[in-house]
Amino acid sequence: MKITLSVNDRSVDVDVAPSTMLVDVLRDELGITSARATCGVGLCGTCTVLLDGRPVSSCLLMAPLAIGKRITTVEGLPDDDAVVRCFSERHAFQCGFCIPGMVLTARDMIDTGRANTPEEIREGLGGNLCRCGCYVKIVDAIEEAAR
Amino acid sequence: MTADMRRSPGPSPADPRVVGGLDYSIDHHVPGAWHLRLVRSDVAAGRVVDIDTTGVESDVTIITPADVAAYGTFGCQIADQRVLAAEPKFAGDPVVAVVAPTPEAAREAAASIQLDYDEAHGVFNEFEAATASAPLVHTSHASASGDAAYFAMRPLDGTNVCHRFRIRTPELRGYDEPELIRELPPLDDATMSDAFAGSDIVVEETFRTPAAAHVPMEPHATTAQWVDGRLEVITGTQTPFNLRQDLAALFGLDPADVRVVAPAMGGSFGAKTFMRTEAITAVAAAFTGKPVRCVLDRDEVFSEVTRHASTVWMRMGATREGRFVAKQMVAYVNTGAYADCGPGVAQKLGYAGVGPYRFDHVAVDSYCTYTNLPPAGAFRGYGAMQSAWASERLVDMLAGELHIDPVELRRMNLLRDGDAFCTGEIMHDTHFEELLDDAAKAVAWNDGRDGKGVAIILKGMQTPSRAEVAIHALPDGRFEVRSATADMGQGAPEALTRMAADVLGVPPEHIVVPPPDTDLAPYDTRTTSSRSTHMMSRALAAAADDLRANGTVGHGRIVNDGGLDPDTGTGVASSHWHQGAAAAHVDVDDETGIIDVRSLYATSYAGRVVHRAAAELQNEGSMIMSLGTALFEELTYVDGQLVNPNLSEYNIASALDGATIHHRLLETPGAEVHGLGETAVPPVPPALGNAVASLGYHPCRLPMTPERVLASRVHPRQEAP
Amino acid sequence: MSWHMPTTVDEVLRLKASKPDATVVAGGTFLGLVIRQGLLDSDEWISLQNVDELRAFGTAGDLSAGAMVTHRRIETEPAVRRDWPGVAEAFGVVASPRVRNVATIGGVLADADYASDPPAMLVASRAVAEVASVRGMRRVPIEELIVGHYETELDDDEIITRVLVPRPTGSAAYRKLRTRSREDRPAVSVAAVRETGGVRVVVGAVSDRPRHYPDICAEWRPGDEQSTREVAAAYADRIPCLDDGRGSAEYRRQVVSVEVRRALMQVSR
Ligand SMILES: Cc1cc2nc3c(=O)[nH]c(=O)nc-3n(C[C@H](O)[C@H](O)[C@H](O)COP(=O)(O)OP(=O)(O)OC[C@H]3O[C@@H](n4cnc5c(N)ncnc54)[C@H](O)[C@@H]3O)c2cc1C
Ligand code: FES
Ligand code: FES
Repeated sequence: MKITLSVNDRSVDVDVAPSTMLVDVLRDELGITSARATCGVGLCGTCTVLLDGRPVSSCLLMAPLAIGKRITTVEGLPDDDAVVRCFSERHAFQCGFCIPGMVLTARDMIDTGRANTPEEIREGLGGNLCRCGCYVKIVDAIEEAAR
Repeated sequence: MTADMRRSPGPSPADPRVVGGLDYSIDHHVPGAWHLRLVRSDVAAGRVVDIDTTGVESDVTIITPADVAAYGTFGCQIADQRVLAAEPKFAGDPVVAVVAPTPEAAREAAASIQLDYDEAHGVFNEFEAATASAPLVHTSHASASGDAAYFAMRPLDGTNVCHRFRIRTPELRGYDEPELIRELPPLDDATMSDAFAGSDIVVEETFRTPAAAHVPMEPHATTAQWVDGRLEVITGTQTPFNLRQDLAALFGLDPADVRVVAPAMGGSFGAKTFMRTEAITAVAAAFTGKPVRCVLDRDEVFSEVTRHASTVWMRMGATREGRFVAKQMVAYVNTGAYADCGPGVAQKLGYAGVGPYRFDHVAVDSYCTYTNLPPAGAFRGYGAMQSAWASERLVDMLAGELHIDPVELRRMNLLRDGDAFCTGEIMHDTHFEELLDDAAKAVAWNDGRDGKGVAIILKGMQTPSRAEVAIHALPDGRFEVRSATADMGQGAPEALTRMAADVLGVPPEHIVVPPPDTDLAPYDTRTTSSRSTHMMSRALAAAADDLRANGTVGHGRIVNDGGLDPDTGTGVASSHWHQGAAAAHVDVDDETGIIDVRSLYATSYAGRVVHRAAAELQNEGSMIMSLGTALFEELTYVDGQLVNPNLSEYNIASALDGATIHHRLLETPGAEVHGLGETAVPPVPPALGNAVASLGYHPCRLPMTPERVLASRVHPRQEAP
Repeated sequence: MSWHMPTTVDEVLRLKASKPDATVVAGGTFLGLVIRQGLLDSDEWISLQNVDELRAFGTAGDLSAGAMVTHRRIETEPAVRRDWPGVAEAFGVVASPRVRNVATIGGVLADADYASDPPAMLVASRAVAEVASVRGMRRVPIEELIVGHYETELDDDEIITRVLVPRPTGSAAYRKLRTRSREDRPAVSVAAVRETGGVRVVVGAVSDRPRHYPDICAEWRPGDEQSTREVAAAYADRIPCLDDGRGSAEYRRQVVSVEVRRALMQVSR
């Protein structure tokens, strides 16, 4: 089926089967590689994108469910985004595979006022896993970005 | 820094890793590439008797074991693996490869192929595999000739033991002993009775650790193509040169005709070492005459390579005053269907299990056994985790028997500069006491020790090994540092940049570090066992000297000699030692067995720190990973079938799980650079185990699930000594 | 292959009646999982995304949540947190914020996974589902709706349209016991809701469906330790526990008695 999606404020037409997951559309059709399918079961968050500003797992999101919604990937954040800056400055990454998903989750946490304490940030990172184990610095970076 | 930055550099440029601007192996697309899928065995052992491909579309290339029979075997330490298996040795062993123009077509073709088997009995437990009646996974043993086979193999013919490593301190040699020691022999056994004669107290126990998964976030992703008779492989690997060597051998090529490019990896932890999907991808490229891409699904990653499960029997004797007299250990590691680096793991597990202590006598027998499980290979901690779990839990048991404080008991026996290790090598640059005190202090050891535990370990660095680096002066005044040190998130390019800037006396912006490419970079053993930073810092210094002397190109080459005799364990285990300690403070819910980690601390000897954030991240990351190892990570097999090959059923630690970690890097001004990639891995599980034990439990098996904790209840809370 | 996007419940019901094999898509989190695992492919999909009626939400009398109301909404809505704290809690501990942003109350009930959190709490709270088809509408207590693991008593042409939770008259407790990561599904869960003259204790995640035994609950005397222990032990005895990666049947039995006791103590106050 042909669907129109709004990705990073750009309108794109793609032809996909309904059971195609959004992450595959982003990667294979649109060449956006920051969304990555790692677990494919909604648990790890490397495929996180913002749907109308709220984080969702694009590995489990059937593409047509995104029709009419704003999809934001890390490429769609403004150049001077505070979260991006704090992650970079604090060196809150190792391999980096999980980081775009972390950044988007953090963006939402900050936008909705739920990044006030380290405890709250750790709760909010639920479902964003980092096998390199960068949580300490990630939490610090988000705390700083929230200020 | 990587050159590839998709955003314009502003006042504080976003790191490419933060904004998705770094290309991993999985992001590399070679135009016109076809897609490979593997049809894997459903049975853990047997023979494929029929391959029904009638449902496959005509434009799909099918490769069967018969098609690749002409290729030899490969394997980094033992050449025991084939490109495709006609006789699968584990559930998941690749039997048929299909190559199609699109991923979907490949997937469909793979799904339509039917395999018929003549199923055989498998053997799954490392210890049972060594019994006389166990079916043989491989009928004969063969060693590999590559560089990763850096010591003599001691396979036991007619058994599943592919390597046996022994340590016998001088007075324990010369006894007539059986080749295969099945479990801890009784104490009155002739060989050992003398060794333990000076002990007033002897403790012994059996400890187990399970198979576990590396779970690199990025799956294995390989692209291979043949260009003018040369093989080019783009793949996430920690071992570009070992891989080049093995691929060259497989195809009968000069190594110079194989090019391995290793882009940044989305995590590895040992999972992307030696030959993985590269062999079959290269063969498929040869068959189709096209570039071929192979990306594993998550469930396949779970069985591509695992951590060695282990069973360790350990015995320790000490005098009433607490002086360690003797240690004996019999260990079995489960290397699965193919040896991979299992022999090396058995060796490292063997000496790491002795721990950072002085003993009069040490006897170690460490066996690497084949089973019909997925192959086990390098895994962060590399054997040291498995035996430190046993060794450090046993020290606490001994302390309990002796009524001596566990920290005191350790302190009395720690290795210090000038002491001989069980291998005969003389220790230098030791910091164990400082680490131990630091760990104890972190959990306020002296304010009551209920719920608290400590552990201390040593871990060797890959020895022998060599490393090379070349520095090229570029026309624009910058310097390009070419090496095979792979980037798996440990910050290798950053560390190389800083160290090179340092030795050349230029700002870091003047240094360029391209990803490893065997066509350009000089030889390097591999990026493993936390050796790269250490070796590279020395090689860079040499290269800078050479550059100053010779103009435009400088070469630096560092060789670490050493190695151990497989029959006595004498020699040089490690040219320098990774030293670390951990401490934990826990509560245990005595009705549900749930462990609440109130605080977890690790302290690692860092020598000189090159890149602080990266070094801290290595330490933190090791702790987080090991926390999962201690509490819940386990690959569960039922009759050889993996039942939890996904992250819903195989949990890894989250931000909440690791909420209470703290750590420290112990630095010495002017000291050598020490690798930190794994030091905090081995001490974490026993520190947690000892903390749990202090509350009246006796955990001997990892992970310490609530259920196992409850079952290990000794008696209602006892008073700590 | 077609993807239908009806905008009214009537339209959904007509579609469902004419295509009984079509798959209804709510948040799609469970469906995404089974599709990815290759366990499901469908020719016809009916998305509920654009059916505004199904997002209706009210807290004036009963808690009334349209089938498409998300977990996140229930968890964060101030009125629910205040007046149905047990319900807010049970929805709030599901998976991660990311899953809760899209997973719906209709989806979790129709899915009927034994290892879910909300069902036990909804049963304990006497929640009722409104179930509709072209044939009409009926009300089914959640206790009767879920009949087994992945099994409901919904007919092929029916969908859940709304869930009603009566206003609680006493305190409630929801206990989720995880045995692995802090982000795991429950190994054992216990919902206890006090009401006039008694308590409803429901144990989830240990067997094929939430377990509630009114006869055992009737024996409970609030604040009495002896009867609390007896009720807990009786639950542990009666439930046919299952084995999975989160715990053996034996362990679950042991923990059910602990957690039921603790839940009852929480609602005694
Ligand atoms: C990573 C992850 C972790 C999870 N962890 C937990 C956890 O800790 N605790 C927990 O309780 N749950 C957990 N879940 C399960 C989660 O709650 C369910 O997947 C979710 O509630 C399903 O809702 P949905 O709206 O996405 O349903 P969908 O996936 O859209 O649908 C689920 C099923 O219900 C049917 N359906 C949906 N709506 C209706 C309706 N109105 N009428 C009739 N049939 C309908 C669909 O056809 C489908 O069969 C987890 C899920 C994931 C992905
Ligand atoms: S890949 Fe989507 S959550 Fe892991
Ligand atoms: S940085 Fe590697 S997974 Fe998070």
